[in-house]
Amino acid sequence: MTVRLREALREAADVPAYQVHERAVRTARRTRQRMAAGVAAVLVLVALVPLTVRGGGGGLAPAGSGGPALPDRIGLPVFGALHATDRPRLGPASVIFSGQARGLTGLIDENGTIGVVGAEADRYRTYRVGHEAPVGEQVLLSPDGRRIAVPGGTSEHPQVDLVDLVDGRVRPLPSPVARSVLMEPAGWAPDGKSLVVRDVVPANPEGSAYRNVLSLVWLDTGRAVRGLAQGVQVPSFGAPVAFSPDGARVAYQIGDEVRVSQVGGTADPIVPDFQPLFSFRVSSDEGLAGKGAWLPDGGLALVSRDPESTRWRLRRVDPRTGKDLGRLELPAVSGVTTIRLLGWRPDGSALVVAYRPEPNAPARFDQPLELDQRTAYGHVRSVRVLALAPGAATPTTVLTAPEQVLAVDVADDVVRSGRVRDADPPWGVGGRFWWWAGLVALLLLGYVGIRWAVRRARAPRG
Amino acid sequence: MSETFHEFVAQRSPALSRTAYLLTGDHQLAEDLLQSALARTYRHWRRIRGGDPEAYVRRVMYHQQVSWWRRRRVVERLDPEPVERGGGDHGDSTVLRLSLLAALHRLTARQRAVVVLRFYEDLTEAQVAEALGCSLGTVKRHGHDALRRLRELVPDLVEATPERSIR
Repeated sequence: MTVRLREALREAADVPAYQVHERAVRTARRTRQRMAAGVAAVLVLVALVPLTVRGGGGGLAPAGSGGPALPDRIGLPVFGALHATDRPRLGPASVIFSGQARGLTGLIDENGTIGVVGAEADRYRTYRVGHEAPVGEQVLLSPDGRRIAVPGGTSEHPQVDLVDLVDGRVRPLPSPVARSVLMEPAGWAPDGKSLVVRDVVPANPEGSAYRNVLSLVWLDTGRAVRGLAQGVQVPSFGAPVAFSPDGARVAYQIGDEVRVSQVGGTADPIVPDFQPLFSFRVSSDEGLAGKGAWLPDGGLALVSRDPESTRWRLRRVDPRTGKDLGRLELPAVSGVTTIRLLGWRPDGSALVVAYRPEPNAPARFDQPLELDQRTAYGHVRSVRVLALAPGAATPTTVLTAPEQVLAVDVADDVVRSGRVRDADPPWGVGGRFWWWAGLVALLLLGYVGIRWAVRRARAPRG
Repeated sequence: MSETFHEFVAQRSPALSRTAYLLTGDHQLAEDLLQSALARTYRHWRRIRGGDPEAYVRRVMYHQQVSWWRRRRVVERLDPEPVERGGGDHGDSTVLRLSLLAALHRLTARQRAVVVLRFYEDLTEAQVAEALGCSLGTVKRHGHDALRRLRELVPDLVEATPERSIR
């Protein structure tokens, strides 16, 4: 039994009431004020840091040194990365990339986000296209890296969106073709003042068949100044498109035919619309090399695959006739689905995108296959940018990308600069994350402040 | 309930002071404990005044006392000898009271809380478990250990007959 214990406890507890009321109230108020001050300080810090970082005015972000250069690797966009039109403005880009890696697709479906890397430093931005759109084919970086041409609009009002990375504006370029249902960029002119665009137009009132139209559009007026090609839909219609360095001629591929049209040098074209100056056929294992297909000597470069292999090389042809002028003394690229020529560097080396095959792809890449299929996302595991130097035995890798980055495009200015810089892709979380975190922190701060004021007003006084 | 904090403290301070003293065994510590518990109660007064604020204060005191005990890292010393026997004179209440206080000092904070709740507040083991935020088994174990030690320290306080649990 514990009767004695109970009695003893009651006896032992015979103490006077402690007079602690006032001290308890003072302690509580002091604690509350300290907590409020602490929370406020934390919230203000969280709010100010990102706002300071992001709200740095409308100017460009601080530039790196040495001018535009190709980063030697690219990373994936971080969670909450700033968009291409966010402040601080990115300025000209060196590289854009797309694919199916984290950050380039939606959580559930494809939302076709492209990554954008600054010209002089590893500042990253993203731009949401809304659907799968490989860069270098359907999304194109302008020669100076300042603008990105992106397919946009609706089937009723197709357009190309010109995303300006310097002023953050997006300018629509409406389709120049009546009844067009889809418009895509196909090639930038060297001066960036005009753009070759590809339209898809219903071929009959029922809309059961379609034809393609390739046009050259002046960006300042938005009007088509030259019809380049039109015809039934075939693989590689107007892909790739390569302007000559002076911008007077443009080469493009339509199915198994390479055509050359005159687009500059005179106000009145010598030949009517949709009539090429020259054209020649190519075999199933070759094609126009890419946007850098014009050689400094006026020749035209084709990519061709060695028989029964996945080894690709560049060869030189006469743009008038397609006559083979011999292999270029550049190393071949092996183990790829194909290569795409970006341009030429000052040392005479060619810069190409090499597509490493997806091992699980059902297609065979050592057999004839359309060029547009060789760069399709499902057939590619990753890409690299290689330099093919004259006389070298093997290519030199100048840019690597994570797996599932499946397409890259490089600004012509960066290609021509010949510079490569050590990359330092961002990590952690991006500016948009911090901006939203700051906003939430400010709202919380306001809420806590109001609640504190209300509670103080209602607090017991006695 | 329209009771103000001041009214609550005025009415319940004596009882709360006694509990605080039993929990700490020291007037200064008891004052600090009660002040701390009341300060916390004041901060949450709007929320708890409609319920049972006294139970809230007691719960805060129990937990605060355990927390302080841990922070002070009181080293338990199991004295093999009774600290102060009440002897055969059960009428000497002062001696018994001092013996009890000294013996309570030898208990852990949790054990002492169980003793106070069970034998001073007269709560059931289930109510003690709820107040301390622990399991019934934990209360039983602490209660058993506390009584065993008290029996060793002050044999006259606790008879050998096992305590019957009331759940």
